[in-house]
Amino acid sequence: MSGSLRVVHYVNQFFGGIGGEEHAHVAVSVKAGAVGPGRLLEKALGDGARIEATLIGGDNYVSERSEEASRAIAAELDRLRPDLLIAGPAFGSGRYGLACALACKVAHDQRIAAITAMHPENPGASSARRGIYIVPTGASTTSMQAALDALVPLARRLGRGEALGLAEVDGYLPQGARRVHDRGRPGYQRALDMLLDKLHGRPYRSEVPYSAPERVPPAPPIADLARARIAMVTTGGLVRKGNPDRQVSANAVRYHRHTVAELESLSPAEWEAYHAGYFNHLVNSNPNYILPLSFLRDLERQGKVGRVHEHIYALPGVSTPVAVSAGHGRSIAQDLKAGGVDGALLVAT
Amino acid sequence: MISAIYNFALTTGANRVIRGARIEHVCGDPTLSPEKDYAFGMRIVTTALQTLTMTVPGPTLFDPLAAGKT
Repeated sequence: MSGSLRVVHYVNQFFGGIGGEEHAHVAVSVKAGAVGPGRLLEKALGDGARIEATLIGGDNYVSERSEEASRAIAAELDRLRPDLLIAGPAFGSGRYGLACALACKVAHDQRIAAITAMHPENPGASSARRGIYIVPTGASTTSMQAALDALVPLARRLGRGEALGLAEVDGYLPQGARRVHDRGRPGYQRALDMLLDKLHGRPYRSEVPYSAPERVPPAPPIADLARARIAMVTTGGLVRKGNPDRQVSANAVRYHRHTVAELESLSPAEWEAYHAGYFNHLVNSNPNYILPLSFLRDLERQGKVGRVHEHIYALPGVSTPVAVSAGHGRSIAQDLKAGGVDGALLVAT
Repeated sequence: MISAIYNFALTTGANRVIRGARIEHVCGDPTLSPEKDYAFGMRIVTTALQTLTMTVPGPTLFDPLAAGKT
């Protein structure tokens, strides 16, 4: 049938019938037709679609050797040229979710429509949702039928070359993209309606999506400060006097690492603040207000702190997007770990 | 994390939060005499260091001025 939708299905080694965790290392392989949950999927897709082939990848293989896996998936898609790739559902399985997101990315790069389904907290959804259609599912395979019921209508539309509408309307996870459109009523009316709903205890929905901050488990305590190596980090925009490193005063795309191994204190003759978010003149008279080197040196001399780390880290924290800040934080933390640092003081203005 | 806007630090998930003096002078207070300014800054810094030796369940505020001793 010429109008039939040609689908390729991606699954992991478990759903592909190869085996469990002991087979998670297997490379990407192909089986003709539908396999495992693919049979249910094909049934749900109905008469107008058939699963031509199933790509099967071991969870460890795809997550550890993602470039090779991408190439293998790309080669198969190139050979099969389907109308649509469907990956998963992966439910709460992290490596499988990442693999499904990867398969969708590969298809996307080849201009093949693609969609997957997984639990919203699956790392595949939280790390890779930009540009990928992900239908939210429950955390376990017991929600298979519900997942397929949600996935299939969107899959059919994508397979026919249709673009999907808004995430909240069509029921996929937001991709983080903003589109300009007319909501029909001016903002002040919508805001007042929202306020009235709130005051009356009625349900309402903010137009500004709230993304909950990441929760980081607290670091375990230091047993003995007198033996600890302590580092200092500041988001107060500390720079060398005259800003020779040309740091920006806001929206920092990089941080700077400076050496203070020879210094007893931060002198206003050598250091200053360059930060668009507060009046810098007081810090310019005493930079130790935002990077307490003078205090730590005294404590080091008194034996209360083992060692002051030789490097400090500085950037202006103002107007820096959370994702960028998280990247700076991870990078600084890695550097501190590599430097044998036990604890760090972060001064934020 | 030492910050004068400690509520931000707590709501964004910093686990050991130490209340700083003011945004413009987090570790100290230039309106005080140089000796008192230094003692105040030292109190903030030592409070911060002490928190590194403590177990915290999650975002927790430590106020150097509320603490009974330095």
